[in-house]
Formats: sequence, structure tokens, C-alpha cells
Amino acid sequence: MAKLGNNGFRTYIKYALIFLGIVLVILMFFLVREIVYIKRSEDINIRKIQFSSFLKSHGPMTVNDAGIIAPWMTFDYINRLFKLPPEFLKTSLVVTDSRYPQISISGYARSEGMNATVFIGEVQSDLRDYLINKK
Amino acid sequence: MDSLLASVLSYVLIYRYAAIFIIEFFGAIILPLPVNAAMLAVGAFSSQGYFNLWGSLTAAVAGNVLGDLTDYLATRKFGEIVIKKLRINKSRFFLQLEEELRQDAVSTVFSSRFAGSLSSIVNFVAGFVGVPFFSFFIPDLLGDLIEPLVLMCVGYVLGVYWDNFSSVLTIFAAVVATGVIMFILFRMYRRMTKRRRESAETSDN
Repeated sequence: MAKLGNNGFRTYIKYALIFLGIVLVILMFFLVREIVYIKRSEDINIRKIQFSSFLKSHGPMTVNDAGIIAPWMTFDYINRLFKLPPEFLKTSLVVTDSRYPQISISGYARSEGMNATVFIGEVQSDLRDYLINKK
Repeated sequence: MDSLLASVLSYVLIYRYAAIFIIEFFGAIILPLPVNAAMLAVGAFSSQGYFNLWGSLTAAVAGNVLGDLTDYLATRKFGEIVIKKLRINKSRFFLQLEEELRQDAVSTVFSSRFAGSLSSIVNFVAGFVGVPFFSFFIPDLLGDLIEPLVLMCVGYVLGVYWDNFSSVLTIFAAVVATGVIMFILFRMYRRMTKRRRESAETSDN
């Protein structure tokens, strides 16, 4: 009985290893595909130059980088990222929430009943204006 | 980016090191949180001067180790009752993993740190079979130090472009986890075959 159990387990392990081998091959395929995609992607190619210059210096972002603003970012993080005066976004967007700047932009939009995408557009627009005028 | 990761990142930006600690802690216990992608992002935030890399690493390692120790100590104290109630002690995989941990605790604990959710299972089983504290703690600390350090360094180099690489990282982490699981299963299989051969030789004699 014990022998039968061991044989059963052995078969189980064998199948598990075969299954995991197949999973590994599939995952490797996706990994290679992703790398090839990234290499071929126009977007990445365009960013390559920006990226290599960025690696040399993690300095403040410029007007061209305004598109990276995402819903999860807080006002404080955006201020730091773009080297903005702490009260700039509060004034330009008329933010009255006491949690400013420690609140995410999607969280603020939600609490004010605004559409997050529209609000991000406003943040980007104000940011671009500020960075252009600063030049 | 999925909404869970977005929420995690918002909390990390607001509550900083406390959030890193809590995310790592609950991720280590068993919750399926996007810890790897979050650590990649924290590395990027450090490169922008928003976080201190070493402070973040300390919070991450502390949270991760404490989470693992919670699993380990909980099953060490209450494991037998729970496992008997859930009847997991009759599972062959559980019995083999138990044997594996008894035989070679240090390398099993260390390698399982890179095997995704298997690490939580190993923590539970390690506590249950009574792996000595330092045989668990030292390889756990080492593994928990290497993983976030690598991720944060990659994030630090990538900077604001970390998000472009998070999908590749997910696939890479899955490949590593599968490889580690296969390694552990292979060792279990080899040990079983060896034991069977030895018992056959004994019965022949």
C-alpha cells in the first residue's frame, strides 16, 4: 500500500516537473517576446536618448516630461519631481483640501467629484505653463 | 498599471517608510500585494531624492523579515492544532516539504525567498516542524535583503522610467519563482528516490 502511495507520488512529482518545465518555457517565450517588443517599440527607441541622458543625471523634469503624471502621484511628489514651489499647484488648481500636498491627485479628484483624467489634464496644463514661463 | 499597484504607490508616497514597512510585512505574511513593482518604484523615488535608498531598504527588510517571523512563530506556537484541524498534515506535498525542511532548512528557506508565495508556505512549515530559530532567521534575513536591494537598485537606475519595465519584471520574477519551485521539487524527488533505493538495498540484503 505504501509502495503504491510512493509510486503515485513519484508520478505526481514527474507530472508536476513536466508541467513546471512547460510553464517555464512559456514564461521564457513571453520574456523574450517582451524584450523584442521593447527593442522594436518606437516609443522606447524615441525615449532611448532621453533615457540615457536621464541616467547621467536624475535632475528635475522638464516641460516634455509633463505626460508622465499619473493618478497615483501625490501633489508633494509632483512638486518634488518638477521642482515646483510648494504652493504652486494649490493656488493654480484652487485646491482647498487640508490634506494638500499629501494626497494623490486621483484621490483629490474623487473627493471633489471630478473626473480624474480631466483633472490630470488640468495639472499637466498648469505645469507646462509654469515650466514654459520659467524658461 | 493595475489599480492595486496605483493605490499602493499613493500610500507609499503619503506614508513613506511606514507604508513600505506595512506593505512588505503583509506581503510577507501571505497577502498578494504587488511588492516587487512597489520596490522598483521606491528605488526610482530614491533616485529623485524623494526617499532615502538606505532608509527604504531598512524599512523593506524589517517589514519582510518581521512578516516571515510572524508566520514562523505563529505556526511554531499554534501550527499543530490548525494543521490537524485543516487536515493539511495528510497532504503528500506538505509531508515532503516538511521532510525537506528537516533535512536542509538553511538552503530551503533561502531559496524559497525568491519563490513568490511559496516563501509564506515555507515559513509556515518551518515553524510547524520546529526549524531552529537561527537556521530560519539568518537565511531569511539574507534572502529578504537581496530581493529588495536588487529591485531598488534597478529602480534607482531606471528612475522615472521604472514603469516601462515593471511588466518585464513581473515576467522575470515569475520565471525566477518557477525555477526556484522546480529546484525545491527536484531536490525532494531526488531525496525520495535515494531513500527508496536505500530501503530496497536494505531489504535485498
